[in-house]
Amino acid sequence: MVLAELQRRFQEAVLGGNPLPDLFAGEEEGLAGGFDLYLQAYRSRLAAALRDNFPVLHRALGDDAFSTLAGAYIREHPSRFRSIRWFGDSLTDFIARFPERVGHPALLDLARMDWAMRAAFDAADSAATKLPDLAALHADEWPEHRFHLMPSLQILDLTWAVEPLWKALNDDAEARTEEPQIQEHALLIWRPALDCCWRSAEAGEAAALRALGESENFAHWCAALAKAGEPEPAMAAATLLRRWVEEGLLAKSAVPV
Amino acid sequence: MSSTIEGFGLGLRSEHYGDFRATRQRVDWLEVISENYLVDGGKPLHFLESIRQDYPMVMHGVSLSIGSSDALDTDYLRQLRRLADRIEPAWVSDHLCWTGTRSLNLHDLLPLPYNVATLQHLTPRIAQVQDVLGRALVIENVSSYVRYRADEMSEWEFIRELVSRTGCELLLDVNNVYVSSVNHGFDAQDFIDAMPASAVRQIHLAGHEDHGQYIIDTHDHPICEAVWDLYAYTVRRLGRLPTMIERDDNIPPLHELIDELDVARSVAQAALNERKRAA
Repeated sequence: MVLAELQRRFQEAVLGGNPLPDLFAGEEEGLAGGFDLYLQAYRSRLAAALRDNFPVLHRALGDDAFSTLAGAYIREHPSRFRSIRWFGDSLTDFIARFPERVGHPALLDLARMDWAMRAAFDAADSAATKLPDLAALHADEWPEHRFHLMPSLQILDLTWAVEPLWKALNDDAEARTEEPQIQEHALLIWRPALDCCWRSAEAGEAAALRALGESENFAHWCAALAKAGEPEPAMAAATLLRRWVEEGLLAKSAVPV
Repeated sequence: MSSTIEGFGLGLRSEHYGDFRATRQRVDWLEVISENYLVDGGKPLHFLESIRQDYPMVMHGVSLSIGSSDALDTDYLRQLRRLADRIEPAWVSDHLCWTGTRSLNLHDLLPLPYNVATLQHLTPRIAQVQDVLGRALVIENVSSYVRYRADEMSEWEFIRELVSRTGCELLLDVNNVYVSSVNHGFDAQDFIDAMPASAVRQIHLAGHEDHGQYIIDTHDHPICEAVWDLYAYTVRRLGRLPTMIERDDNIPPLHELIDELDVARSVAQAALNERKRAA
């Protein structure tokens, strides 16, 4: 048997849970050596990766419900990643398609927060813009100045106010928690230096932040703010920029791709 | 940055970043899992570069999949090369295995059939990896729980032939030899005896779980007596070699691993003394 066929059959047996793929010494007697160890290891390793990547969702659901969710996901989404660190990239979509799998619709937003925090953790580095950097800009440089968002920054549009639940369970697995309330808002997650930060934001602020990242320069951004209905765009821009710079949301320069 | 690998090392784990940064530890060198640092930024790379200032390092990968029937992943190889350029490891190793096919990854170190066709499959692939990395690839024997009907030779005969055909070097995992010897009923010393001494660059030691019929290579226990004995035999046969302890689960405080490393030092020293007397 050629190697490709042997590996195809081995892999299909692991994915399908078939203990006798007709490859191994001893199968004639109904014993495939320790092949069942590979079957078990595959599922437990991927489930462990999901627990690592969605630690707060795991705490919210508990071991049994998380294990059921993980098992269903592993069956439907075999890994295509070189590193297991990325396994689970479609779990939030998977939950969105079958929300009954997590029991409460707010847990979809909780899972999205988990994944975004994990992504920010090892996203590309960049030095943050500081207030003196802005002070050093000449007045005639401002209109053409291009601002860059931190490469780790993610702006999530959430339906549920899950942040208190996420924080409580992240701090303490046994925390007593309250049911999240419906509240359309944005969640900002970023890493100004080594540690990840997050905070909730109004939809308008999130839109302005996205617009800054997409705008060719400061003048265009101010125009976008005005178009969005901001009565005093220059004043609003100054206020927003100051806050974002103080929080480390803006990068000093674009990160090369 | 020093790059000389001698003596006794440990696998760098995030649980011990603080210990390694706080003070100089009694560890001669560190092995890092390459995949943990194939990321864009953040704490992993920051701590890696900081700790690299004080310790020689080697890179150890788990997803090269050198034996897969899929084409080698050239993006992965380029990432590996970039990381190697960044931390200047003494060598880069991965496993004699496959991890998946048809673009899927089972995230396991799966054994290959030990036959001539597999040798022919591996030979150009190892050359390709060595070209990209610009250095000899160091290959580790895996532990296994199955034997293929397609096998035509023993694992140790296969490894000898692979070294001869490709010029690759070896990371001899003594625990894996022991685990497979129990699982498949061969004499572990036969395996050690067959290793081409000049190709062996490094030794791995680790703990395992005994499940009765099978021993599982879990890296979550201290090293057992039988593996210490096989390590002593290996040193008597092959001489002084850089040796490290792998621990990937139930990770204890660093000082416990350093204590275990002291056991490795004393076992190796006693074996070297015996080797000298016998010479």
